[in-house]
Amino acid sequence: MGALPSPRKTQEEKMIERGMESCAFKSLIACVGGFVLGGAFGVFTAGIDSNVGLDPKDPLRTPTAREVLRDMGQRGMSYAKNFAIVGAMFSCTECIIESHRGKSDWKNAVYSGCVTGGAIGFRAGLKAGVLGCGGFAAFSAAIEYYLR
Amino acid sequence: MDPMKAQQLAAELEVEMMADMYNRMTSACHKKCVPPHYKEAELSKGEAVCLDRCVAKYLDLHERLGRKLTELSVQDEEVMRKAAAGTG
Repeated sequence: MGALPSPRKTQEEKMIERGMESCAFKSLIACVGGFVLGGAFGVFTAGIDSNVGLDPKDPLRTPTAREVLRDMGQRGMSYAKNFAIVGAMFSCTECIIESHRGKSDWKNAVYSGCVTGGAIGFRAGLKAGVLGCGGFAAFSAAIEYYLR
Repeated sequence: MDPMKAQQLAAELEVEMMADMYNRMTSACHKKCVPPHYKEAELSKGEAVCLDRCVAKYLDLHERLGRKLTELSVQDEEVMRKAAAGTG
């Protein structure tokens, strides 16, 4: 039965395909990608910033190269972790919502953007959570509009 | 009729029924789950999940309706037999 004759997929191929389509793998990819992107972004921002490496106890002393580099690394790591968490959360919720709805359209990204933004903002109170939800959802909608 | 021939006929009918069911299921699930505007060649996760559910429901429905139909036809047969035995 079936349309055109095609070579049968082996059991391993099917398992690998199923693994690659799973929500866990997708969120892992988003986490790693977010980490790398966040690191690059953090280092870049630290490069532009004039306060990098400044010792808070003695702000008039120019920092040594080692201090500057350490501060850049710290900032890069902090951005990297934030981006990784946000990316993983967004990808995970989007995959779960898409699996639940059984459809693949722009609303999945908007809903998961609201959930992610809300979860991030909720730590700072309810109003911040609602604002985070709206903001992230709007951002996701804009990205989806651009991509589709 | 020759029992072998009857069996062969039944088997042919079964194959035809299966093929027809497969075609109908494919077209119904495709219409339900895959929106007509294609953006990429591969099935997305939502569509794959929808197709899994569609096939499972279709087969479940097919099995239940088939069972109910055989039940009803067995009842009908009994009624007809009783009527024939009563008049005959």
